[in-house]
Amino acid sequence: MNETIEIRLTQEELEIFKRIIQKSILTRISKIGARGGVVALSGGIDSSLVTVLAHEVIGDDLVAIIMPEEGVSPENDIKDALNLVKSRGIRYRYIKINDAVRWFSSLLPSRDLSDFSTRLTIANVKPRIRMIINYMFANLENKIVLGTSNKTELLLGYGTKFGDMAADIYPIGDLYKTQVWQLAEYIGIPTEIIRKKPSAGLWKGQTDEEELGHTYYEIDRVLFALVELELSVRETAELLSLSLESVEDIYRRIIRSEHKRKPPTITRLSKMCLDKDWRYPVERY
Amino acid sequence: MRKIRVALAQIETKLGDVSGNKEKIIQSIYRSREAQAHILVTPELSTLGFGSGDIYLDRVNENLDALEEIREVSAEAGVTTIVGFVDRDDRGFYYNAAAVIVNGKIIGRYRKVQLVNYRLFDEKRYFRPGSRLPVFDTPRARIGVLICEDVWFPEPARAVTFRGAELIVVLSASPYDRGKNTLWKDFLKERVRDNILPFVFVNQSGIQDGVTYWGGSMVFNASGKLIKELPLIEEAFDVVEIDLEESRRLRRRDIRVREVRREILEELLRAYEDMQR
Repeated sequence: MNETIEIRLTQEELEIFKRIIQKSILTRISKIGARGGVVALSGGIDSSLVTVLAHEVIGDDLVAIIMPEEGVSPENDIKDALNLVKSRGIRYRYIKINDAVRWFSSLLPSRDLSDFSTRLTIANVKPRIRMIINYMFANLENKIVLGTSNKTELLLGYGTKFGDMAADIYPIGDLYKTQVWQLAEYIGIPTEIIRKKPSAGLWKGQTDEEELGHTYYEIDRVLFALVELELSVRETAELLSLSLESVEDIYRRIIRSEHKRKPPTITRLSKMCLDKDWRYPVERY
Repeated sequence: MRKIRVALAQIETKLGDVSGNKEKIIQSIYRSREAQAHILVTPELSTLGFGSGDIYLDRVNENLDALEEIREVSAEAGVTTIVGFVDRDDRGFYYNAAAVIVNGKIIGRYRKVQLVNYRLFDEKRYFRPGSRLPVFDTPRARIGVLICEDVWFPEPARAVTFRGAELIVVLSASPYDRGKNTLWKDFLKERVRDNILPFVFVNQSGIQDGVTYWGGSMVFNASGKLIKELPLIEEAFDVVEIDLEESRRLRRRDIRVREVRREILEELLRAYEDMQR
């Protein structure tokens, strides 16, 4: 096998990936007899990509839900999200979540945002509010929820459990962030969305790369070496000429976040434990 | 010139949908007759759908009943049919298998020898491996049948070649990942070149539970030329005519099949045993 970092997709691969992602959305919707899907659209690249890919194949059966926290979510994100749906004629709802955030925050003993755990707790409440709204409208119109997590986020555990990670399918969940950029460019997502500094929008001015301590370019190369090439931490550091510490930091994130990539562990008491012994596909006939 | 017309049914099988899958196979038999094909090849495990998980265990009987109906239709249509299904032996063990149906009779069953048990695959949870590599005498040609992973190893194809196969058919359900289609093309080409035989590769198509069966079925003639390639991912059906005498012509001067020395094969086995130690 070839031990080189080949994250960059060829034109042929981009076309195949696009077709597969779109067909997988269609397949799931038709298998469970749903009428389309909903997607939370932030104006960032991941959700813009899922929105456009899905819209191309399910058209008006897609509803994009734009759920900013006005005053906190970057204004250009809101503007980009609105431009995207309007320019492409995508059905959408605009729901600001400020009231809900305020109400949930009022339940906390302290609202002092300089306290890290309070800040993180509130930051996690926001994607969970969006999740409720997502599933509310999905239920209303018998739709599935299209998740927007990518492989980089899933590996790092860089997402909120039962928040933005709550979905029925992850159409771009096997694409690294830098591949998301490539596919977004390939299908014609506006450059202002592609060029933007990635941000989970957890708080004002937050950027992913600053919070993670590495650029996505670096992270993807490390993840590719560890996961796709199945190299050890030491081998990865050597291959990429990186310090052992920085590779270890990323490796630890992968290990610590395993629980986010799995359904809750069931305590096994019978010989047919549902998350261990029972193996059935979701799309069964 | 002796020729054979082979129909390729690149079916999108559905997980556990035995009756729907059977219907697709039956329709393919009728289409083969219309297209005057001599034989029809379906993908691996096409009655149940590859990747069915524990459904394999639940629906073996249903799948055997489906095979019976397929046999009847094959007889009526007069098309030799090679179909992937779950076989069961007298002791109740299951096999990932292919049935060769000629004139309404199942003249033989091939059981996959190289089960796949890594990454997303867990065939050993359900199946026993076969250990025989027979060839099947059909009215038009002596055929070697292999299933998917068998072709990743040079030995199974070599064995059916030694047994006098004039054509090798490969039933497959290969999941897509980056570069997989190119990799398969390379593998098949190597097998063709080693054995100087035409190869027919029929792959499952469609997407289920996030796994894409990439289709892209291929036919190579004995000189290694790709003479038919079906579309990626989508369901497809096509018929190709294969020259069965090309191999013999090529082998007049190309000695690589007939002049393998027995001593080398014995040495290979000894080397293998050394490796296992």
